[in-house]
Amino acid sequence: MNTEISVPFKDISFPTPRQMTLRQARRHKGFLLGSSVLLLIIIMALLAPLLAPHDPYDQNLSKRLTPPVWHAKGTWDHPLGTDNLGRDYLSRLMYGARISLIIGVAAMLISGVIGTTMGVLAGFFGGRVDMVVNAMITTRLALPIMLVALAVVALVGGSLQIVVLVLGLMIWNRFALVMRASTQQLRSMDYVSAAKAAGCSTPRIILTEVMPNIMNNLIVVATLEITRAILIEASLSFLGMGVQPPLPSWGLMVAEAKGFMLFSPWMIAIPGAAIFILVLSINLLGDGIRDITAPEGRS
Amino acid sequence: MTGKLCKVLICVCISLAFLTAAASPALAGKKDDTLYFSWKKELESLDRYFNTAREGMIVSRQICDDLLYRDPDTLQYKPLLAKSYKWLDTTTMEFELRQGITFHNGEKFDADDVVYTINFVSNPDNKVLVQRNVNWIDRAEKLGPYKVKLYLKEPFPSALEYLAGNIPIYPNEYYAKVGPKGFGIKPIGTGPYKVVEHEVGKKIVFEKNKNYFKDSPKGQPSIGRLVQRTIPEDTTMAAELMTGGLDWIYQVPKDQADSLANVPNVQVLKAETMRVGWLVMDAAGRSGENPFQKVAVRKAVSHAIDREGISRNLVGGQSRVIHSHCFPTQFGCTDAVVKYDYNPVKAKELLAEAGYPNGFEIDLHGYRNRPYAEAMIGNLQAVGIKANLKYLKYSALREKVYGSKVTFNFTTWGSYGVNDISNITGRFYNFTEVDYARDEQVRDWLKEGDSIIDRNKRKAVYNKALNRIADEAYVLPLFTWVANYAFSKELDFKPYPDAVPRFFLSKWK
Amino acid sequence: MLVYTGKRIVLALLVAVTVSFISFMILNLSGDPAIALAGADATPEEIKFVREKYGLDRPILVQYIEWAGRAIQGNFGESPYFNQPVKDIIGDRIGVTLILGLCAFLFAVCLAIPLGVIAAIRPNTWIDRTALTISVFGQAMPNFFFGLILIIVFGVILRWLPISGGESWRHFIMPAIALGYYGSPALMRLTRTGMMEVLASDYIRTARSKGLRPGPVLFKHALRNAIIPVVSLAFVLFGYMLGGAFVIEYVFAVNGVGFLAVRSIERADLPVVQAIILLLSFIYVTMTLLSDILNAYLDPRIRVK
Repeated sequence: MNTEISVPFKDISFPTPRQMTLRQARRHKGFLLGSSVLLLIIIMALLAPLLAPHDPYDQNLSKRLTPPVWHAKGTWDHPLGTDNLGRDYLSRLMYGARISLIIGVAAMLISGVIGTTMGVLAGFFGGRVDMVVNAMITTRLALPIMLVALAVVALVGGSLQIVVLVLGLMIWNRFALVMRASTQQLRSMDYVSAAKAAGCSTPRIILTEVMPNIMNNLIVVATLEITRAILIEASLSFLGMGVQPPLPSWGLMVAEAKGFMLFSPWMIAIPGAAIFILVLSINLLGDGIRDITAPEGRS
Repeated sequence: MTGKLCKVLICVCISLAFLTAAASPALAGKKDDTLYFSWKKELESLDRYFNTAREGMIVSRQICDDLLYRDPDTLQYKPLLAKSYKWLDTTTMEFELRQGITFHNGEKFDADDVVYTINFVSNPDNKVLVQRNVNWIDRAEKLGPYKVKLYLKEPFPSALEYLAGNIPIYPNEYYAKVGPKGFGIKPIGTGPYKVVEHEVGKKIVFEKNKNYFKDSPKGQPSIGRLVQRTIPEDTTMAAELMTGGLDWIYQVPKDQADSLANVPNVQVLKAETMRVGWLVMDAAGRSGENPFQKVAVRKAVSHAIDREGISRNLVGGQSRVIHSHCFPTQFGCTDAVVKYDYNPVKAKELLAEAGYPNGFEIDLHGYRNRPYAEAMIGNLQAVGIKANLKYLKYSALREKVYGSKVTFNFTTWGSYGVNDISNITGRFYNFTEVDYARDEQVRDWLKEGDSIIDRNKRKAVYNKALNRIADEAYVLPLFTWVANYAFSKELDFKPYPDAVPRFFLSKWK
Repeated sequence: MLVYTGKRIVLALLVAVTVSFISFMILNLSGDPAIALAGADATPEEIKFVREKYGLDRPILVQYIEWAGRAIQGNFGESPYFNQPVKDIIGDRIGVTLILGLCAFLFAVCLAIPLGVIAAIRPNTWIDRTALTISVFGQAMPNFFFGLILIIVFGVILRWLPISGGESWRHFIMPAIALGYYGSPALMRLTRTGMMEVLASDYIRTARSKGLRPGPVLFKHALRNAIIPVVSLAFVLFGYMLGGAFVIEYVFAVNGVGFLAVRSIERADLPVVQAIILLLSFIYVTMTLLSDILNAYLDPRIRVK
């Protein structure tokens, strides 16, 4: 108490909102853990050509199914062993991070554009627009996406582009829902009314007044959707209808290793754990961002 | 209070989860004289004429008999439902039938059943699925209660082969009543096993036919019951086998088979099958202008693929590289053709010569054995051909193949276990939708071979066709497939190259 | 209440029709159903014949109307693969899927609600953290991967449970856990949040200050109120579980509708796939409807709106 009083007024520094957020972030364990692991994975993906010990496509049938280095028969030449075509598992894992991240981010971007547009329009205009968007969201929720995605990929043929496109067109519902609710809240805010009164055009209001203020929610939903896309792709690949080899997506690596699960469990454990860690870190990051931007309470 | 409550709640949840799990699973096998086995396929119908799957053939061979039987050990044709047979001329055969045989439902077997079955299936209006099995037959005629005459449309040298395993005889009264649909659900035959329970696509239960006729060359069944279940995952099947939930599985992937061989109660057998694989290159340009229209490119691909390495490391067992477009033991097949050795340097030279010094990019289609395709893609990449794998389900791929949309295709053929070249090579060079070579010379030779009776002349004409296919490198024949069987050590089981398990020859040790 | 219910039912029907239309279009435009119908080794003439026989050469809109007209009467056509009515094939398998869905649902509820309640009563203790960890793991673990781990641990190593099939109730334990675990995080989070809000509310504090024992307060007052949103989520979750069961059914070879769906997709058996998509969305729509109505019944504020 005493010290507070004795501090001269001019020395009290009020933190800016940005500083507050940073301070919050530094104290949030989940956020720190999530973001640092994710950062590691991203670095690994970006620098794969520099870091990977081998070409991920380089096959050597005489060296196939080498166990990882901690195994009695492992060698440092292939720290995580080799797969059933004798390709270096560590290198494939590094390049695979690229594919899995590309799938997650690209599908999220597509669905984000669709969902946010729909949600913001519905929330901003209300009335008929809202009704139409609402009906579209309900319909989309009633469509069993995994089955539809599986059917389309099976009939059209799987490739990275097709998988990303199908996922992107399927998982926009949460964006639309959350953006709609946030925009509805904002619509009645003073500064939006003020902008309207000042004669700003609608697109301008949406872009300059509404969008920046729903950014936090947008980011949280985006992290959720990235993980959803990654998990669905893994399931599609598991059923043999995801991206096509020799692309080393992690889902595909799990699928290719499932036949070796009983006797070489490390083969499935490594990419399986990689997916798990990636999804976990993105989820922690998302939870963290939500907590930090809405500090009233963890929910 | 709340602390206690928490503990109680947790305890309840945990004990619920584990109490339910306490008892150990029932063990299958010798003890209850029941052989539990599984495959991946959901078999749509148990009527052999209305399914195309190998599994259908397996069921048919257990529950039905044909006129003839090919002894799997000596490869000799023996009369089965027939007592004797003879060729009257090149297009007519006469059969004397066995007497005193009854079907599973008590119906008596006689000439009417044979005539009815053969006339039914050979009538194209009845739309039997595998037309190749029956479309050489003109009709059958009853000469007496146990005597039948068979008319062929034209001389067909491999008739015996088809009559011994692909033309099961059905009970005429029952079949007329229930039709293919009813028969597909509840089949009735004269065979060593009868179907007593069938949930379509899920489960089939067979029981020993105690009245199976005594002097059948198939012998007498020994195991009391057979139970088939559909399981889609190799790993699940292997886990069931290890823990005694299953007694017999087949088509086990090589590496899983190698590992299962070390499991104490499991025995593994690797046997070569009649299935062979090859790469189709669109030499005819059906899919549009493409590099494979140049023979040098096709030869380059032939030199680029390490067939030996894939056959040894990925297929394993008795798998061998083939050089002509057929299975080595099939009548008419020969290995005396041009052989393309694994030689990436030469492949690159050929590519450069054809005007592709830096290779090219192409889609490789496939529908099964993905690791083999991946290995080949690796080989192609090494000589500069960037192949993207387009993996499709069989029906989807067929759609593309028929629609002239496939430039490069990895495909396989099992010949329906028929040990004659007419069931493989001829099917792919007859200018139909599957023919991406479109070579008139080859087509005519193969057609001629399919109708000559004289064995040596037949061989000679097939030889010419196979040589031309190899010289032109229309396709790259790859290697033979291997069927890996894994089964309980208590079971006495012998596999054969046609990859059709004969449970009626198996017994408990 | 009646008006509200009526409105919701009309909306649900509209959604079902739209879903059927969209899925019909997607499936029929992605592949050529005539080739699938014609079967193996069909010649182009036969395919053309099939196309004409089944009216597949007509405009797709006409085909859809015809299909929908039959579907309303419960006739989904015949599977070209099994040569049986689609209705019978699905009818044969729906029971297994419902049992699996129900078991998984019960498992999710038994796991999530007690943990959620405890976590809310004792926030930031080891129990809360355990609950949080379980839910975070559940969200990040691919469910087929979890299923395979269960098979290895309980089926192969410990040999406690049968690995595949659906013959006895014991066959359902592992798939139910694998499927239910996936659905539990959402339930657990909602229970925890709801419970915390209610516990912090005035009437609970009043009840406590009056000296009521903690047990009754917890169950009679708090849980009852916190459970409303959980129940409505649970309905929706049940629908999701039926729809998401197919990977699990595939791994454990449980011969239900999901398994049928995957295999039918593999062999391009479009009538079956089409009917299953419609069935699943119908179940989902019904579940949402029930949850809406139940919500309105429990919470008068919604009705009025």
